[in-house]
Amino acid sequence: MSLTLPSTRDESWRWSDLSGLDALAVAPATGTTRGLDSHWIGTDAAGGPRLLFVDGSFDDEHSRPGPVAVGLTEARSDHPLAKLATAPGWTLTVGPDGATPPGPIEIVHIATGGASHVPARIVLAEGAQASIVETYVGDGWANRLTTIDLGRSARLMRAIRIIQDSGFTSLRDEARLDAGASLVTTLFAGGEGSSRLDAAITLDGPGAFAEHGGALLARDSQRHDAAVVVRHAQPEGTSRQLWRAVADDKATASMAARVEVARDAQRTDGEQSLRGLMLKRTATINLKPELEIFADDVKCAHGATVGELDAQALFYMTSRGITPDRARALLTQAFIADALSRIGEEAVRDAFQAEAERWLESRS
Amino acid sequence: MLKIENLHAEIDGKAILKGLTLTINPGEIHAIMGPNGAGKSTLSYVLSGRPGYEVTEGSATFEGEDLLDKAPHERAAAGLFLGFQYPVEIPGVSNVQFLREALNAQRRLRGEEPLSGGDFLKRARAQADALGLSMDMLKRPVNVGFSGGEKKRNEMVQMGIIDPKLAILDETDSGLDIDALRTIGGGINTIMRKPDKAVLLITHYQRLLDYVKPDFVHVLAAGRIVRTGGAELAHELEREGYGAIAA
Repeated sequence: MSLTLPSTRDESWRWSDLSGLDALAVAPATGTTRGLDSHWIGTDAAGGPRLLFVDGSFDDEHSRPGPVAVGLTEARSDHPLAKLATAPGWTLTVGPDGATPPGPIEIVHIATGGASHVPARIVLAEGAQASIVETYVGDGWANRLTTIDLGRSARLMRAIRIIQDSGFTSLRDEARLDAGASLVTTLFAGGEGSSRLDAAITLDGPGAFAEHGGALLARDSQRHDAAVVVRHAQPEGTSRQLWRAVADDKATASMAARVEVARDAQRTDGEQSLRGLMLKRTATINLKPELEIFADDVKCAHGATVGELDAQALFYMTSRGITPDRARALLTQAFIADALSRIGEEAVRDAFQAEAERWLESRS
Repeated sequence: MLKIENLHAEIDGKAILKGLTLTINPGEIHAIMGPNGAGKSTLSYVLSGRPGYEVTEGSATFEGEDLLDKAPHERAAAGLFLGFQYPVEIPGVSNVQFLREALNAQRRLRGEEPLSGGDFLKRARAQADALGLSMDMLKRPVNVGFSGGEKKRNEMVQMGIIDPKLAILDETDSGLDIDALRTIGGGINTIMRKPDKAVLLITHYQRLLDYVKPDFVHVLAAGRIVRTGGAELAHELEREGYGAIAA
């Protein structure tokens, strides 16, 4: 397969480094999975739905898909990476006022060295509810497309954890929300691999609510790159984009968050908060908040700041006996806490926070 | 306990301390008074190891060990506590977590067992009660949303929980009303007035010394101690001003 990848001359890809993908696209997968049990957040005994994909292939033996249908999907995109995702994937359909079983549906994606391109489709009918947690681990290139269609007053919570040991994770979400629907997506990118996190969310009915954000932790030569567009097409919508990025060593973390407010989308309430923390001055953080507003009665707040750890707070903590490394870890964790606090399920939130803590503690 | 000899220190190339000598023995409470810019805060920062301050001459030992050689967290573990003139706000880190981490980091460095969550909370509750801070406040982020007086009380709660050997209290009395001053003075006496502990109070005014009676009062001017006396010296300073005394 020959790849045609976007170039950094393309404005929306200027901070991405896709140069490793050509090699990853043809790299052989070893198929060896280790420590499988450690990737699930919920206990096996709880019996909730769980799906395992190894190199993009559904692993029937370790899964109990519950309401999720596995196979070819209707998800399609012309996004330069997501369009590759045409293999069999998964589809979750929940009927009117229906709900997935208590606790989240868990999906674990293990990459074992090669590339995988998996589409997914989530369709919630009017008043339906679902919660999904996805985890990306291993080595290789995991490329995913998720298309989401939320009916009136439907509610979807997503939490996505990217903790690959190496390689690349590229996610593309395309979501459409009908009136009063709610979509909350929280991402955590840590691990040792790089990522590109794309989303296009359209508030297509009055009073819809979309929240999309998360924490990006990058070190060594890692690159995390988030690019999100929220489009308010109808009035009285609310959107929140809260991102926290931490970059150490020679790593790069980038966040481009865009809000578009159409002419008819009066009384839109949009908020963007992009904050970067540089742990070393050799690191790079790029922030690009964008607002494009055609309606006249809107409230759109945006803030973008980059800084370093507060030297006064560090001294205060060390003067009380906390080691400098631990003080830095505590302050960094406090910095990203906002971004993870939106995860509704306590066990999931704890697992994400523990992942952040592990990243901070293993900092040399 | 603390022996400072001929200490010279500068910040950004500007000499602040110019040959300061001071000895503090266990069981003693010392007060250092002096006009603005005399070097009082610099002394507290140099002793606690704040980055940016450079010692160019002289020495400071704490229980016979070179203090200036140690990192700030090592000085804390050795038993030194700095009460900040402007306690720092740390959003996202609760007082309880901060203090438990601090206390157990010190214990680890001293080769002691960490305190359990239950024992820690018991100790924290006792100190908070004594200083009129609620446990609810201790569960909030460090100093965030605290008034000036609450921040100073919190410094004393921290001191009580950490239980240091030597406390250097940098203008702990500034910004306090009379009631708070009494509470904090009482806290200092309860926590620190013991035969094996010592206190160095840094203050502009005599009023804290009404509650915490010093054994020695020193006048710091232009980076050196220019006069030493007993508690009565503070009254004399209050009456006559620094100009007359330090000249």
